[in-house]
Amino acid sequence: MNGTLIQSSLIHKASASMKKDTAAWIVIAVTILTAIALGVFAGATQLANTIVLGGMWALMGVGLALVFGVMNVSNFAHGEAFMVGSYVAYFVFGPVQKAFEGTHLAAIAPVPGLLICILAGVVLGVIIEKLLIHPLRVRTKQGWVMNAFLLTAGISLIMSNGARLLLGTKFRGVTTYWDLPSINALGVRLPSDRAAAFILALVAIASLWFFLQRTDTGRAIRAVSQDEAGARMVGVRVKWIYTLTFALSTALATLAGASLLFMFPAFPTVGLRPLYVSWYILMLVGLGNVGGSIAGGFIVAVLQTATQYFLGSVWEDVVPLIAMILVLLLAPSGIFGSEVKGIHEQ
Amino acid sequence: MRAERTLDQKRTEPTRSPWKIATRALDRFGVSPLGFGCFALIAILPLIPPFNQEHIVRWLVMGALLGAQAVAFDFTGGYINVVNFGFASIVGLGAYTSTILSHTEPMIVIHPGMPPWLTIWIAAFVCGLIGFLLGALTLRLRGIYAAVMAWFFGLALLGLARNQTSLTRGTLGINPRPLLDTNSNVPYYYVILAMLALTYICLRLVTKSKYGLAFRCIGANMDAAEASGIDPTRYRIVNFTLSCFFAGLLGGFYAHYIGILTPDTAMSTNSTVEVLSLSYIGGRSSLWGGIAAAFPFVILTEALRSSLDELPGIQMVVYGALMILVMIFYPSGLAGFYRAQVDKIRQWFTKS
Repeated sequence: MNGTLIQSSLIHKASASMKKDTAAWIVIAVTILTAIALGVFAGATQLANTIVLGGMWALMGVGLALVFGVMNVSNFAHGEAFMVGSYVAYFVFGPVQKAFEGTHLAAIAPVPGLLICILAGVVLGVIIEKLLIHPLRVRTKQGWVMNAFLLTAGISLIMSNGARLLLGTKFRGVTTYWDLPSINALGVRLPSDRAAAFILALVAIASLWFFLQRTDTGRAIRAVSQDEAGARMVGVRVKWIYTLTFALSTALATLAGASLLFMFPAFPTVGLRPLYVSWYILMLVGLGNVGGSIAGGFIVAVLQTATQYFLGSVWEDVVPLIAMILVLLLAPSGIFGSEVKGIHEQ
Repeated sequence: MRAERTLDQKRTEPTRSPWKIATRALDRFGVSPLGFGCFALIAILPLIPPFNQEHIVRWLVMGALLGAQAVAFDFTGGYINVVNFGFASIVGLGAYTSTILSHTEPMIVIHPGMPPWLTIWIAAFVCGLIGFLLGALTLRLRGIYAAVMAWFFGLALLGLARNQTSLTRGTLGINPRPLLDTNSNVPYYYVILAMLALTYICLRLVTKSKYGLAFRCIGANMDAAEASGIDPTRYRIVNFTLSCFFAGLLGGFYAHYIGILTPDTAMSTNSTVEVLSLSYIGGRSSLWGGIAAAFPFVILTEALRSSLDELPGIQMVVYGALMILVMIFYPSGLAGFYRAQVDKIRQWFTKS
């Protein structure tokens, strides 16, 4: 009797993982086919742009997945970090560009802005974590995932409306960001802004990967995400790791906001679209799956551009919803799976 | 059977004072005497001097509307612990449904011109149906997935309202027919108070029934509920459908009261978080807490906004800050505070 039970549960598990794998293969196949279709019908330039966008979405998604995986915080204020990044980059870029005008440094005018953005992201992350998330963690007894979600929703409300209060509803964008010649190769014309954004995203993700895999602090972060109590037992300072993780994630989001300033002008609600996309990535690949969200960023970018290109803007918002419902029906914990324990509470 | 009944009557005979009868009747509708008193006070508010100016009555209407929305929101958020992050979009869907069905001018493709009194109810049923379908698809999932899916759904509805310009006129905004043929806000106030009472009493009666017990059980621990023979998905869908029904009803009222409907004011995530924070400040799983929070806070923030009209969005900042403070330092909200005070007074009486 017991044996059959175990057997049936094993079969159940196997069929669930097979379903998950099927979903993963379907999604990947659809993405590749759509990418080819985009390349054929819309041209290689459009495809290149899509891949550039995918890099940035991956950056956003990785930050969100990291925070969810390590801290079980479903961060709804991730888009607001993007917004802060674009504002800081805008306000630093203007004067720097003026100061560098005519010199050889004009080509790298955004660099100081990007550095200050990363710093601002770290500071913002530390403030939010220490001031709000940590006290809530100390006081919450159950329902942590939902509580953290609502808390960050409140933070998002304050930040976007605070920006509207302080800075008004003016669009603050730049026309030329990286003053470099555009890249022409293989019939693809890639403006320097986009190329730079893509390189930045790749460098950021690669250094994050190196940090998580090869350094002691990175290993400690991964240890906390796997087993918090165990990590505490072997001497990892969990509180510090939490703060560090949140700061890291916020810095990734501000960096994304800063490097996409040419595409998304600074605006109080500019964070909504990146927030939506990064949550979409997270739900698609499985909550808290850091490696999966890199692939997820590109998948979502391809599908997004394809929907806009082939179906027009009228159905732009409905198609992703239907796709997500189908994916979740096939693979309720995302196509690459999620191993975060927190999602099983309520 | 008959003997029992006479026994019961005899037992209750000596206590048949009018007060007892009245409280019993109120209790049958799920209202406490204090609650009824407060409601009566709210109802005569537009006749009392500082509140009888038109613009303050307008704030009161908004307060009642948000309070009723907070009740409907708390019914899912507080009881089954599923936060409906697309709540404002469901309200907006109700608003648009009612507006389009009652439209008489040929500015949009269809303008059936039904009376608003009827279309508000049609909107409620449409929203209930949509809530049922959405719930059937997403409520099998765990809390955070369901919340995010509801948010995605809300954003999709918002996008549709923006893009289907032949139906909704998009971001230009549409002018719904007024519900009442009057310039005064006071009649609207009594209509929304009736809706508030209806929403509250219906949902309170449900939460007092065995359904309410099942909801609380699912909200507290879904696995334990499932183990004791409750089908969580079914009860969650029932709950979600009811909440969406009332959201649609209130949305219909909102459209015919406010006079101009744009996707971004009616359906944005900000509006959801506004209702969410009101229901949290009021206290989770209390239903009445949202109403108790809505009146003072809406009046406060509207007063703040009208005196500082250079500062758009200040009321959202206030709501967000208060919600965060309540979540961290006093998670049970106004309702919990009230209960604690009642307990204290009771203890004080029993001691002496």
